[in-house]
Amino acid sequence: MSRLAEATFWSATFAGGLRLATPLIFASIGETFAQRSGVLNIGLEGYMIVGALASLYVADPTLTPIGFVAGGLAGLLLSALMVLFSIRLRANQVVVGFGLTILGVGITGFIFRLTTSVGGVDRQVPLPGKINIPVLSDIPWFGRALFLHSWYTWFAVGLVPVAWWISSRTIFGLQVRSVGEDPDAASARGIDVIKVRTHATLISGLLGGFGGAALMLGAVGRFQPMVTANRGFIALIVLIMASWKIWGAALGAFVFGFFEALSINLNNVFVDMPTELLEAIPFVVALAILTVGVRWSRMPPALGTNYEAIK
Amino acid sequence: MLASSSQSSLEEPAFLADAVSRRFGEVQALNKVEFSLRPGEIHALVGENGAGKSTLAKIIAGGLKPDRASMSLFGQPYAPESRRDGASSGVAYVRQQLSLVRGLTVAENLQLGRPGASPVFNLKAAIVEIDHWCRELSMEVPAESLVDDLPLALRQQAEILTAVAWGARLLILDEPSSSLGPRETAALISLCHRLRDEGTPIIYISHRLPELTELADRLTVLRQGEVVVGGADVSEADLHEIAEMMVGDISLLEVDRPNREYGETRLTVDSVAVHTSRGVGLENVSFQVRSGEVLGVVGVAGNGQNTLAETLTGQSQCVEGQVIVDGVEIAGKPRDAISARVAHLYEDRSVGLAAEMSVADNALARRVRDRDFSRYGVRLLSRIRSHATLLADRFQVRPPDPTSKAGSLSGGNQQKLMAARELENNPAVLVAHGPTKGLDPEASKVMRDRCFGVAEAGGAVVVISADLEEIIELADRVIVLSSGKIVDRFDIADMTAARLGTAMAGLSSNE
Repeated sequence: MSRLAEATFWSATFAGGLRLATPLIFASIGETFAQRSGVLNIGLEGYMIVGALASLYVADPTLTPIGFVAGGLAGLLLSALMVLFSIRLRANQVVVGFGLTILGVGITGFIFRLTTSVGGVDRQVPLPGKINIPVLSDIPWFGRALFLHSWYTWFAVGLVPVAWWISSRTIFGLQVRSVGEDPDAASARGIDVIKVRTHATLISGLLGGFGGAALMLGAVGRFQPMVTANRGFIALIVLIMASWKIWGAALGAFVFGFFEALSINLNNVFVDMPTELLEAIPFVVALAILTVGVRWSRMPPALGTNYEAIK
Repeated sequence: MLASSSQSSLEEPAFLADAVSRRFGEVQALNKVEFSLRPGEIHALVGENGAGKSTLAKIIAGGLKPDRASMSLFGQPYAPESRRDGASSGVAYVRQQLSLVRGLTVAENLQLGRPGASPVFNLKAAIVEIDHWCRELSMEVPAESLVDDLPLALRQQAEILTAVAWGARLLILDEPSSSLGPRETAALISLCHRLRDEGTPIIYISHRLPELTELADRLTVLRQGEVVVGGADVSEADLHEIAEMMVGDISLLEVDRPNREYGETRLTVDSVAVHTSRGVGLENVSFQVRSGEVLGVVGVAGNGQNTLAETLTGQSQCVEGQVIVDGVEIAGKPRDAISARVAHLYEDRSVGLAAEMSVADNALARRVRDRDFSRYGVRLLSRIRSHATLLADRFQVRPPDPTSKAGSLSGGNQQKLMAARELENNPAVLVAHGPTKGLDPEASKVMRDRCFGVAEAGGAVVVISADLEEIIELADRVIVLSSGKIVDRFDIADMTAARLGTAMAGLSSNE
């Protein structure tokens, strides 16, 4: 019990939270682009898991940066199916999205089985070293928690302001938001709704794949079926909590990661406590935030609707 | 940028349209319309609903192609392929339904889709530009507010600002004042004057004559797709005469019906006020309708007719006053209206019927929990179907197949189906909103006979219609709605084009 009063406990939990949040930050930022453009991109879990498998197999065992890129491309490829079916052929977004998740989970499990001999050794990558920011990481109390992380985490954190800038300070960002707000008005201003939604969805595929790769190469190191453990769906919840804002999405991802890390660390303190109960903590917190926050959460009005140009 | 365009030779019109014609199916929406706009003038385009004002505006803006026309813009031949094409020629069309993206800020809307804008959105530059135009035109548009959060008048200003900033050389404002209060309208008028004085000619579409005396330089009146007054000088025009021209000659239509006996009062509307976010509300509306009587409600569409229909049928709640049917108050609950036997022919058939459900289910609608059609919550399908067949037969719904979808019927048959359901139980009050809208003459006749039949059977009938012929045929008395108020009321025999036109255009101030 007294360990809860120690600074190291909270510092470690904070650091672990950021590490666990890294895949979620990638995924939820990508999803923000897709949903702000009006595409309810439920296939995110699928993009993440194909990204995870592809990154591991390409990285095997030491080409990790190339593996990371390969993960992103795998997610991008799967999101191209979302573009084809839902945006171009106007199939129901929820159906196609779920289909892509099932496809992603199924195909990765299948490939994994095919390539893993019974009793053989799994493919594995060594977990990355931590990039130490000198001086800053030596600050007592929170130095290590804030400034000692793998480059995946640095990349994810660095992506946040860039994504915010693209979303709010470029014409592309305006276009993305306009087609999710009012596609007819946007179209009347000469914006190609289908094209903008295509780009936004491909961005979410790429970042979803990065998220899976970051999970695999940065945190888990070895594949197992359903290794993403519904993180793609959690990203969807994060977006609602964040009211579809970039900074909010990053913060929401961190909150999830933090409480996930907290539940793991508490498990070490309270050994007798049922693990399942502790694992529920992040979701209870999310539920609480959603219940309170739903008042100010503003959904893109055209979210989930297919667009057909008025002739 | 604005000032320079006024230098172009004054004798040459800014815009000229010659023999513009456009058909929609059977309706000749525009017939060889001529229209000219001088540089630096505000030219009002007036007429009733369906006169062809908006059709002409869309053609000028490029959103609609004419069947035949020759147009020129600032001396150049002009034949836009699309709205965007029109916009790049400098024609900006500001509609009632705004074209700003509501979830973006004004500054973001300024740059969204702007021709030649750089790919990086420069917020500061956009704010500076908006401030510049605000000063130039004495507007107060907050650059960083979401369009959604702005009141309507400011949204409209933002839209005009965007159009001017994008380099509009000609503005079309389509019913810009229809949802504005008096103060906002005054502000809009002075904005229009400033724009004109800076050299941007404006085509101003309206049905409200009073504000035009102050606003416009010239006016053109359209009626049924034809020009009845072309480019008259507003300062010399007699507005009452103009109002009469808008309505047309209604004395030709004969009022001929036997005198009938009216019974006791069945519907009482007592100083009712309704506020609504979905359009014009009602203010101090009072009238009574007796058994056997038909009351006609006329007015330009969008002046409170919808709210009136909803209030009478319990779908909108009064903030003041009350609606009483046979001594029972309808207190903003549809259930009250149903049990008081208030029938409602919806103006919009897509609201009055569930298009995806079967004819039988639509015929049942309100009686879905009726003991005749279900036992212990299980629906008695054969009874439901035979009930629908009976109604379909009585009202000649074709095809009389109870299992087909209501949406698969033609418009006339949908209307008959709705009437069959609503009139089934000998209603105490019938609210018929545009009962023959879009129907062919034969179906219209059947529908009018049915409405009349309700009155003959002792019901009180309220017919809300933009079709004056229909009002003359059905109504005993008429009230005129304008901006949610009753501006005039008279017996049908006293209805004249001048009186009606005056009231509909908001010129009269009785009551």
